[in-house]
Amino acid sequence: MVDKTDPQATKRAASRRDFLKAGLLGGAAVAASAGVARAAGEPLITEIQDWNRYLGEGVDVAPYGKPSEFEANVVRRNVPWLTSDPVSSINFTPLHELEGIITPNGLCFERHHGGTAVINPADHRLMINGLVDTPLVFTMEDLKRFPRENRVYFLECAANGGMEWRGSQLNGCQFTHGMIHCVVYTGVPLRYLLEEAGVKTNGKWLLAEGADAAAMTRSIPIEKALDDCLVAFKMNGEALRAEQGYPLRLCVPGWEGNMWVKWLRRLEIGDEPWAQREETSKYTDLLADGKARRHTFVMDVKSVITSPSPQAPVTHGKGPLVISGLAWSGSGTIKRVDVTIDGGRSWQPARIDGPSLPKALHRFYLDINWDGSEMLLQSRAIDDQGLVQPTKNELRAARGENSIYHNNGIQTWHVNTDGVVENVEVS
Amino acid sequence: MLKFPKFAAVAALAFAALASPSLADGDVGAGEKVFKKCAACHAVGDGAKHKVGPELNDVFGRTAGSVDDYKYSKPMMAAGEGGLVWDDTTLTEYLANPKAMVKGTKMAFAGLKKDDEIANVLAYLKSFSESEAASAPAAAETAEAAPVETAEASPAAEAEPVEAMAVETSKGAFGLGRVAMADEIAAWDIDIRPDGTGLPEGKGTVAEGEPLFADNCAVCHGDFGEGAGRWPVLAGGQDTLLKDRPVKTIGSYWPYLSTVFDYVRRAMPFGDARSLSDDDVYALTAYLLYLNDIVDDEDFELSNENFASIRLPNEDNFIPDDRLNEPHYAKGLEPCMTDCKPGPVEITARAQIIDVTPEGEGDENTGGGID
Ligand code: HEC
Ligand code: HEC
Repeated sequence: MVDKTDPQATKRAASRRDFLKAGLLGGAAVAASAGVARAAGEPLITEIQDWNRYLGEGVDVAPYGKPSEFEANVVRRNVPWLTSDPVSSINFTPLHELEGIITPNGLCFERHHGGTAVINPADHRLMINGLVDTPLVFTMEDLKRFPRENRVYFLECAANGGMEWRGSQLNGCQFTHGMIHCVVYTGVPLRYLLEEAGVKTNGKWLLAEGADAAAMTRSIPIEKALDDCLVAFKMNGEALRAEQGYPLRLCVPGWEGNMWVKWLRRLEIGDEPWAQREETSKYTDLLADGKARRHTFVMDVKSVITSPSPQAPVTHGKGPLVISGLAWSGSGTIKRVDVTIDGGRSWQPARIDGPSLPKALHRFYLDINWDGSEMLLQSRAIDDQGLVQPTKNELRAARGENSIYHNNGIQTWHVNTDGVVENVEVS
Repeated sequence: MLKFPKFAAVAALAFAALASPSLADGDVGAGEKVFKKCAACHAVGDGAKHKVGPELNDVFGRTAGSVDDYKYSKPMMAAGEGGLVWDDTTLTEYLANPKAMVKGTKMAFAGLKKDDEIANVLAYLKSFSESEAASAPAAAETAEAAPVETAEASPAAEAEPVEAMAVETSKGAFGLGRVAMADEIAAWDIDIRPDGTGLPEGKGTVAEGEPLFADNCAVCHGDFGEGAGRWPVLAGGQDTLLKDRPVKTIGSYWPYLSTVFDYVRRAMPFGDARSLSDDDVYALTAYLLYLNDIVDDEDFELSNENFASIRLPNEDNFIPDDRLNEPHYAKGLEPCMTDCKPGPVEITARAQIIDVTPEGEGDENTGGGID
């Protein structure tokens, strides 16, 4: 089975010349089989289609456009057994259906602890208090008069992959890796707001608080707050979606998604962290020896092949195959992504396509000529700090299986000869 | 300042109009919003299932405590057997103060404080009740009138505080924003630190906490904090942190007691946050200490005075982030590219065998979790 895959052959197959040659052959084969099926031309082409004759809908039908009806399966999904109630739960981004590095607003995964708060922006206030020269209150209008910046960042829940610590469990990268999205935010650097209030010299920590029914809170070191945090009111050009914190959210680039407080209403400066529920009971990482790490803020170097994957099987048979995936690191940019098709015996560098921005998703591709035999696909990301994505077994050896959070282990997809893909682990 | 009395009068008028509506005046749309307070425990609409409380389709005309496959409290069933049928009048009374009307009901809900909220939520529930379907259009008609009233009231409410307060603008570089008032800061800044900073004055005993917990928390968290169904477990789990499925509770895992007080006060009971008094929260926190065997005297009183002296057993087991010391992150490691594994690669685990990926309705599973 998979072991038959000769690494050298893999390399050869991937070389550009062979790829083109095989591509031509493959193309010819498809054309031939289509020809066998019908004597005459394809009716889709030879007959006039309805959409080619009758008028479609006018410009007044959809003032706010929606995806094509043929994309109805591209939606966020949740896993009912994970949590006690959907208003304190999570759903997942359909990564297997997406390309590029930007997540459409309606597909960004949701995690909230008391449902989606609905707040009229005219009623929203942001307060800064604590160790500041002048405690301040801003309206949304005030905030929109500070200089703005646009930045692309991924947001990953620290529990992304948390169900996979004890072995492969969920069959689809939407579920194993879908607690992530990446959008371009427009907002005010947090630093401007804090400087407006005047942080006292003993101000070392910042507490961010949401206005929702969970009044979500997290402690953030002041250095981070003054470095690259953003108070955002737009995502991908339009207002934040309600479920993403409308009208205002905090961006804490590269750090745990839970810290990106939504419906942001208050920033308090203090000299010590607050040990809130989300940084004690939750978002602490229990190790095998009973110790638990806290303040594990930075999201790890990580990647996943989004297609093929269990929800995106190979349906076209052997021949040219685009392996598409995402890589990211909370420490900076992705320097390189390696891909293996034989379960990690041999690797080749993938091609990173599109912008390479710090703390943003990176899109990578490996274009192969699939010979139709079984594959064990993996990707391995390396960031600009030189951190290499570890295997799941390396993580388990260091931490045990009870950490829940920060599982950035290498993902394996098994592709069988029919192109069906399954979430597996390998020796 | 001069404007203030005028605006207040307008606001009061508008409020009076809203406060004593005839029951038929409920607004379905506004009721849908009010229902959010119920939605943690009740479902309505197509395919509504029982949650913590029974589904509420066709509740009008329903005999109290009569839905077959839902497990009611004894008092609720007794009330139904005694002839209690849900209609505008009985529901209005129940929703204003559930425990006063049906003594011992297990509906852990303080009650709706405003009459218009009750009228609106009833209009909303009516739209899911067959027997009342005929009267639904009437409710829909009035629904159109209602927003006009609120639209009049809200500019007054908006403009009034700004006019009335002596607004001091920011003295920062941009001069944007205004100075926060002391009462505003007090209203929002309710966080508490492990050293007790931020604690309000107050006190409460284990014995006082017990009935509060039974009334407000036990439906979800269980009588002893053991967790009902999938709702969070709050007690027990000592000596499980090294095991396969650790039970992380206040007693077994949490480092600081301050987090309990802070969190319960800001976020519980789920769906009715900020409804507890400070003394209630002291009493509930004391009771949670008792459930976790950290205090064993029912007369134990927790207060802002003795709070910081209480330590949780697992405090010392929290360590700083040392991920980068793990061997796989060691500096300068060049990842292997060829002949990286000696022999054939074997599959050691498969997701399909476990088969818990959601595909349709009613998926159930016992493993894993995201917390
Ligand atoms: C914290 C959970 C919770 C919340 C919040 C809640 N309920 Fe309930 N409700 C219950 C439970 C539990 C029962 C069953 C009571 C019993 O058996 O004593 C119940 C019973 C009822 C009943 C009686 C149903 C019957 O079949 O007899 C009605 C009506 C009702 N609730 C309406 C509401 C409305 C309206 C709201 C929101 C304004 C609300 N409830 C909020 C838990 C809740
Ligand atoms: C309607 C169900 C419900 C009721 C009633 C309720 N809770 Fe909760 N409780 C929850 C849920 C859900 C969570 C987790 C919320 C989240 O996702 O963040 C929770 C979390 C908690 C936690 C944190 C648990 C942990 O391990 O982090 C504590 C402590 C708590 N509740 C205490 C209380 C107390 C005290 C009351 C009564 C005053 C109460 N709860 C009433 C549903 C409920």
